[in-house]
Parts: sequence; structure tokens; C-alpha cells
Amino acid sequence: MSWALGVAADHPVLLVAVPLLFAALCPIWAMWKRSACFPWAMAGMSVTAFLAWSLIGDVSPRRALTYNLSGWRPPWGIQIRIDYVGLLMVCIITAVGLLIVLYSWRYVEHDLKPERVPYYYTLLLLIMTAMIGFSVTGDLFNMFVMMEIFSITSYALVAISGMKEAVRAAFKYLLMGATSSLTVLLAIAFLYSATGSLNMLDISLQLKSTSYVQVAAVALILFVVGFSVKAALFPVHVWLPDAHSIAPSPVSALLSALVIKMGIIGLFRVFFTVYGPGFAARSGTWNGVIDVVSWLAVASILVGAALAIIQRDFKVMIAYSSIVHIGYILLGLTVLSGNGTVGGLFDILAHAMGKGCFFMVAGIMIYKGNRRQIHELRGVGRTMPVTAWAFTIAALSIVGIPPTAGFMAKFYILWGCIQRGKYHFVVLALIGSLLTAVYCFRVVYYMFFTGARRPDARLDEGPVTMYAPAALLAAGTVFFGIFANLLIPSLTAAARLVLAR
Amino acid sequence: MKRLLVLVALAVIGVTLLYGIGKMPPMDSRASPDKTHVVPRYLGHGEEEAGAKNIITGVILNYRGYDTMGEVSVIFSALCAVIAILDREKKGRSRSGVDASRVRTSLIVTTVVRFSLPVVMLFAVYTMLHGEPSPGGGFQGGAIVGASIILFTIVFGLAVSTKRIPPGARVPMESVNMLGFLSMGFIGLAFGVQFLTYILPGLGVAAAETVRKLMLDVIELGIGIGGGIIFISIVFSMIREDRYELQQDVP
Repeated sequence: MSWALGVAADHPVLLVAVPLLFAALCPIWAMWKRSACFPWAMAGMSVTAFLAWSLIGDVSPRRALTYNLSGWRPPWGIQIRIDYVGLLMVCIITAVGLLIVLYSWRYVEHDLKPERVPYYYTLLLLIMTAMIGFSVTGDLFNMFVMMEIFSITSYALVAISGMKEAVRAAFKYLLMGATSSLTVLLAIAFLYSATGSLNMLDISLQLKSTSYVQVAAVALILFVVGFSVKAALFPVHVWLPDAHSIAPSPVSALLSALVIKMGIIGLFRVFFTVYGPGFAARSGTWNGVIDVVSWLAVASILVGAALAIIQRDFKVMIAYSSIVHIGYILLGLTVLSGNGTVGGLFDILAHAMGKGCFFMVAGIMIYKGNRRQIHELRGVGRTMPVTAWAFTIAALSIVGIPPTAGFMAKFYILWGCIQRGKYHFVVLALIGSLLTAVYCFRVVYYMFFTGARRPDARLDEGPVTMYAPAALLAAGTVFFGIFANLLIPSLTAAARLVLAR
Repeated sequence: MKRLLVLVALAVIGVTLLYGIGKMPPMDSRASPDKTHVVPRYLGHGEEEAGAKNIITGVILNYRGYDTMGEVSVIFSALCAVIAILDREKKGRSRSGVDASRVRTSLIVTTVVRFSLPVVMLFAVYTMLHGEPSPGGGFQGGAIVGASIILFTIVFGLAVSTKRIPPGARVPMESVNMLGFLSMGFIGLAFGVQFLTYILPGLGVAAAETVRKLMLDVIELGIGIGGGIIFISIVFSMIREDRYELQQDVP
């Protein structure tokens, strides 16, 4: 389908250049008319989404699209390399991103100072550009550059409401995020001194023969520390509950559904593309690090779920729930079995839809009646049926009940654990699921089974541009639960290739 | 307890880093991977391939031009972040009601700034355009532009500066660094070569070299002007002319 624009060969770079162009022109466009920024951002995201989706079919697990920037072959120049996982990420980013921009429209005009709105959309377009660039690049240093863009923009988006708590949370996020960026930069420097290259595939080739294995091992540890902070893995998750709960709700949805996934993609690339199981033969560090990460992932599941249960604030609870799911995804990716990897990658999709929907629903509750506490959601099932049902369906997916995408993801993750004989992980992950059911269904209980003493007629459904994206995401979790076979065979093939390297 | 944990974490990281540094190839080794793998091509063919006598400029703009496009986007993101949190400078008088531009400043200082400013600006443009044969380039030139205007603002006050360079003029210029890269990239695409390729097909060898020089200059100027204006806008939005600061100088 890439003939669509007649620029088939240039598609990979347009995925980054087009949203960047829209971002660069957004403040200029706003000088003409401030309210024109929303359609501008919508147009930018739509074109990007079209470009991304038209690549479906051109990329298969065995065939990646490559693009040499400035015409230099790697390792001398930078190469964009869209493999199956990269394409999956780009499709998730553009689809969820489009819905988030739509959802932002009414929310920000209600929540932000008008002069900040153009820069809100500019930051949104920049963060999308950076996440796409991060997912598709084949170059380690380029990955760092893209990571800097989405980090800086996400600090700003957390603080954009100007509330004192928001600025404080953003500062905490900035301190941890900047430290982790530095750690990743140091890791790249170490790896460069050991291999002399920045291209990921070339590095993995050089690592087979390098005489500086210890340097590469230190770099691996630094990578894991750095990307774990971005992914909010226990015990470096402490920035997440503050930042995600205090940010404007579309931003929370963006950060939770997409930005923390970048940390996971970073870890995935480092573990499997750059080092790969082949590195285990040269240094014990690889296996050690994978083991540590899988234990930390289980700890994330349990700690996140336990902390989510004791929260009274709706958004803080959802924020802790993100830590739980980061745990599931990383458990799947580090169990080193084909099915586990499939489950982990599938959970990236399932969690992006489920958690995006959760934060959008939380945003509607704040938009309509400034309800932040869980007990304030009494009777919402009757006054706001669409919103409440969207939340309920997304909750089924987050907990992992069929026929939703979340169930398929957890099923494959646990299957992977069983295949590797890690029954203790199965038990602990199931306990985490039970705890997740408790905190999710507590909210559903308040929504449907407790009546408001006097229903407030003004608190009806919010604007359609707000509940429709939430409902679409909820529908998506059911769609990918039933039609999981659209992805599973390809993911299985991709996982097999990844684990064989 | 917390302090102890921090101390332990720092010690672990420190020991890991020191261990890694100890195992790194020695600095003076000529056979280490960082000097034998990609670098020989940059040093050996960089001048004719990338079109810059200064190899660093060649790497920044040509071999790894896409990274530099990312870096200027980082600077732009930083500007957006500052404005999203602090807003642009307010028009008119400061909160204290004192117009800082009317505060009397030493005659020596104003005269020195008046005379040196044009020279500094000229040097900035020279640095931007001379990044190819000598050390320099857009980033450095932009920093000089920014610093000179900031000096002017400190001496003559924010009101004068914002009247000379109003936000309406700054907004388009702030994006110019990314637009420089993007437009040159799209020109390449229109000619059927890869994004950010500067040797365009269909031209003679000599003409292609000239076009490449022009394209690289456009990018350097874009980085310089965009970067300089971004510095200025960031500083302007951070300046608060409060009564407290002015008390000592108000006559």
C-alpha cells in the first residue's frame, strides 16, 4: 500500500519529518488564530497516522524497512530501520495519539490558560515525533536524541497547568528523568569505546568479537538503569504516581499509554537487538541483568497493585496501576520464551488502549464536576452510561478477563512463564491480577451499584469529543481480544527471531 | 535510613563506572575500536564526501545530520517547555510600575555596549558561515547572537529589547532551525535522493558542489538564527523586573 503517495521509498523518514514540520509551524500558525492550533495538530497527526498505517503489509517479522539518511550506509551514517516491533509501536502511537489530540480539544480550553494552548499542541506534536523516531531508529545515539525530545516535552506537559503541585511533580520527574538520560548517554559512550560504532545491528556484530567485554557489560547495566527509570520499574517508579496523577488528563493518558512504553522499547532494543542472547555466551552479565529485571518486574506488579488498592484518589490509583502493567510487560519480555515475548509485546498494545481509556474517563470526571475521589463516582453508571461502560470494559482488559486484549496478553505471559518452569512467577503474577481486580472493580462497584443520593442533572455525559475516544479505546480492547490472531502469528515469528539472535 | 540508601546506591554506581573506565581501551591506543572502525573514513574521505574541511562540521551536518536535526528540535522543545511553564514576557511595564528602560545606567557601560554590539553581531554571522573551513558553526554563532542581545537587554532594559524584537518577529524565527533542516531535506526528496542528501543529481559536478555549499550554509544560518532567538526568548520569559531588583538603581 505504500504506493499511496508515490513516495514509497521515503516513507520511513516522512514518519518523523511530517509531524516535526507540523510542530515547527504550529506556533507560527497560532499567530494567525489561536483556535486554529487544534485542527492543525489534528491534521498533522492524521497525515502521520495515514503514513504509518500505509506501511502495514510492507513490514513483516522477516522483512524490515530500512532508510539510510543522507544516503550514508551504516555504520557511517544513521539508518532508520522499521522492524515489526517498530511498526507495531508506530501504529499504536499514531492511533492513540490521534485520539488523545481529539480528546485534548475541549479539555485544554477548559483547563489551560489560553496563551499556553498553542504551545500545548506544539509539545504534543513534538512528543509524538520523538516517540515515532525513537521506535523506528536503528541508531543508538539517534535513540538518545529522540529520548531527550520526548523527555523534555513530557516534563513540560506535566507542569503546563501551572498548579504548584504540578510544577513540583514535574521537577521530581525532571530530576529522575535527566539522571536516567545521562546514564543512557554514558552507556552509549562506554559501548562506543568498546565497539567503535553507533548502529545497533553493527554493534551487535562487533560485540561478537570485541576484546572489551567488561566495558560492554558495564554499558548494559547502565542502559538497564537508565531505561528502567523511563519505564518506571520498581524501585525507580517514584516519579510516576505524582507526575501522572497531577498532569492534565490527556497528558496522563499520553504518558501512561505511550511514553513509559518508550522505556520498555529501549530495554527491548538493548536486550535483544544490541546485545542479544548471543552476548550471554561472552558475559554472564546478560543473564544476570535479565534475571534481576524479571524479579523487579514481579516486585512492580505486587507493590504497584498493593499501593493502588489503598488509594482514594482516582487518578493516583490509575497511575499505580501503570506500574503494575509495566511489571507484566517486562516479566513477559524477560522470561525468554517465545510466548512470553509475544505476551509482553501484546500487553504494550492492550495496556496502551486500557490505560488510555482509564485516564480519559478520569479526565471526564474532572471536567464534569471536578470529581477526583473514587467515592465521588457514585451513580455515574446511570448519569454517564457511555463513560462508565467504557471504563468497565477497559477495566476487564486491565484485569485480564476474556474476551479482551488484556486477557490474551496475560495468558501468553503466564504461558511463557510455565514453559520456562518459572511457576513462582505464575503464582505471584496471578496474585497481582487478583489485587488488580480488587482495585478496578471497586471503582465499577461505585459507578453502578451505589446510587447518588440526589443525582445531579448537570453531570451528564461530557462532550462527545471526550467520551468517544475513551469508548473507541475500550472497543479496541475487545476487538483485539477477539481478533488477537491478527497479530499473534506475526508476533510469534518476531519473538522467535529475536530470541534466536 | 534514606541517606544510607542514597549513599549505598551512589557507591554502587560509582564503583561500576570506575570499573568500566578501568577496562576501557587506553586513551593513546591506536588500535582501539573507537579509532579503527568508523573514524578512518571520516578522517580520510570526510572532506570530499561531506563537503567540509572541518571534519566535525562534516559529521554534524552530513554524516549525522539527522541527529543534528533532532538536537535543534531539543532546543526548540526546551523553548516550548519554558514558555509553557513561564509564559512569554508581559507587554508594557513591569509589575512594580517602574519602567526599567528609564533607570539611569552608567554612561561608560551604555557606550561600550553600543559600540561593541555591531562588532559582536558581525562576528556571530562570521562564526555561523565559517563553520566549514574553521572551528565554529551555527550553534556557536547562535550562542553569540543570543549573548549579545542578552547583554543589550541587561543594560537597556527589557522594554527596549522587546520593542526592537517583539514576540511577533521572534515566533517565526524560533522555528527556523528546524525549518532549515526540513526544507533542505525535502529538496533532497524532491530530487529523488535521500532525506538530507546535499549532492543533488542532475547537476554538473561543480554546480552540485556549489549547491551543497549553499544548502549547508542555509542550515548553518538556520541553526544560528533559530538558536540565538530561542536563547533570547528563554531569557526574556525568565526576566522579572521587580521592585526589589530595581530599588538600588532608581534615582
